[in-house]
Amino acid sequence: MPVRTEVLMGTFVTIDVVADDADAGAIDRAFAWFHTIETACTRFDEDSELMRLCAPPGRAVAVSDVLFEAIRFAVAVAEDTGGACDPTVGAAVAARGVDREHRTGRRVRAAVVDERASYRDVIVDEAARAVLLRRPLTLDLGAVAKGLAVDAAARELAPLVDFAIDAGGDLFLAGHNRHGEPWSVGIRHPRVDGELIETVRVSNRAVCTSGDYEKAHLVDPRTGASPSRAASATVLAPNAMLADALATAAFVLGPAEGIALLERHGVDGVIYGSDLSRVATTALARA
Amino acid sequence: MGKQGQDRKVANGLVALSSAAVLAVYSAGYTRTRAAADRFTAQTEARRPAVAEPQPVAVVAPPAPAADRAPAPVNRRPVPSSRKRTRQRSIAAITPPAPTPALSAAPTPSAPALAAPSAPSASSASASAQATADKPQYHDGTYFGWGTSRHGDIQAQVVIENGRIAAATIAQCLTRYSCSVIARLPPQVAERQSPEVDYVSGATQSTNAFYYAVVEALGQAKAK
Repeated sequence: MPVRTEVLMGTFVTIDVVADDADAGAIDRAFAWFHTIETACTRFDEDSELMRLCAPPGRAVAVSDVLFEAIRFAVAVAEDTGGACDPTVGAAVAARGVDREHRTGRRVRAAVVDERASYRDVIVDEAARAVLLRRPLTLDLGAVAKGLAVDAAARELAPLVDFAIDAGGDLFLAGHNRHGEPWSVGIRHPRVDGELIETVRVSNRAVCTSGDYEKAHLVDPRTGASPSRAASATVLAPNAMLADALATAAFVLGPAEGIALLERHGVDGVIYGSDLSRVATTALARA
Repeated sequence: MGKQGQDRKVANGLVALSSAAVLAVYSAGYTRTRAAADRFTAQTEARRPAVAEPQPVAVVAPPAPAADRAPAPVNRRPVPSSRKRTRQRSIAAITPPAPTPALSAAPTPSAPALAAPSAPSASSASASAQATADKPQYHDGTYFGWGTSRHGDIQAQVVIENGRIAAATIAQCLTRYSCSVIARLPPQVAERQSPEVDYVSGATQSTNAFYYAVVEALGQAKAK
């Protein structure tokens, strides 16, 4: 039962395969996905493909498949949520000091950023697989890239059937655990360190949580402030990229609008309000 | 937000779009990743005996003594103005005798311990894939690293056993705020091993100094 942890994408990534005789090569390939996707999508490396795209605004730049899919999805989520989850908040995040390249500790500054920039300034050209930025801005694909890496790794591991991927709390749970049951996943208590507020059983699902215990990261792109109406939002979805994006958006939108968003997308989730009141989609509703 | 009918159309699109994106990325990268992995297989065939140990690898279970002295006691200590000197002294004080030659060699008194670890900062895709392929790549032992944030510095202790990360704990906390804020990170994986649940879903602390400190310590574990 190989369990392996590496430090990647700003967090600890653990891959846990139930089968004793699992192919170690598959696990290596799964970890390699994190490298590949981080290399393209990091904004903490001035030479990354993402930062080269962000450098000269105003012209269409053909990008790699990884970057294209990540940006297209990030913009689609922003459009769908009215900007509740907006990849152009890079500047707002940097202003809060999250501007250190995590592998070297070197500080990175986005060049010039137009404060009025939003996802509407990111033009995705489907035919040419190109991206055009209409204003100077920095795309922050952190969450999307991490989700995408989890999903690509999950695809790589698919032949192994029963496995779990944990990228710092962003999870993909495939098949069953060592007891032959669906994986049990605890949802971190947003107010009490080290405690769980509830647990869910999942199989072949990604689980992601956004919470107000990481304030520095979650900024409402519409106001530039940290949202306060939800304490945490957890989403169960077919893939981690979607689960992460919808958890972030649902958290920003707050309990009522957040649940409506999840139901509209046909994914399950549970949102705790700042008073710890609980709202959930039907499948997770309590009797 | 917006008109219900329109939303519904877009909504279905997001689920489909994300699935298609994962498939596209996976298919496009398949060849490259496969190539890197095949190289890895070729390389490891040679040293198979060492790798093939069927022993399960323990993961980030913080050892009791380190955990004890980890977050709380040093917390409120104000960050001294001559921080670099203090930092040097405290590194010397905790450097374990045997396995950390890299640490004493690395920083000069004037250069902060944050010097970039050279090995992991390779930035081209192939180099990164290659780095993965070369695992296990850490040397057994106990390593220390510093991470800085606007709120102060944190020293991490990382224990490598059998070439893998066995534990990562906070050795010193020189932040203005209590390290209890990030104390959840070191046992993050151990938490998962609790009898209660298989895994814990929760937002990550991807930006904290502890992370940089671990990265630095791992840079030393890789060096040589």
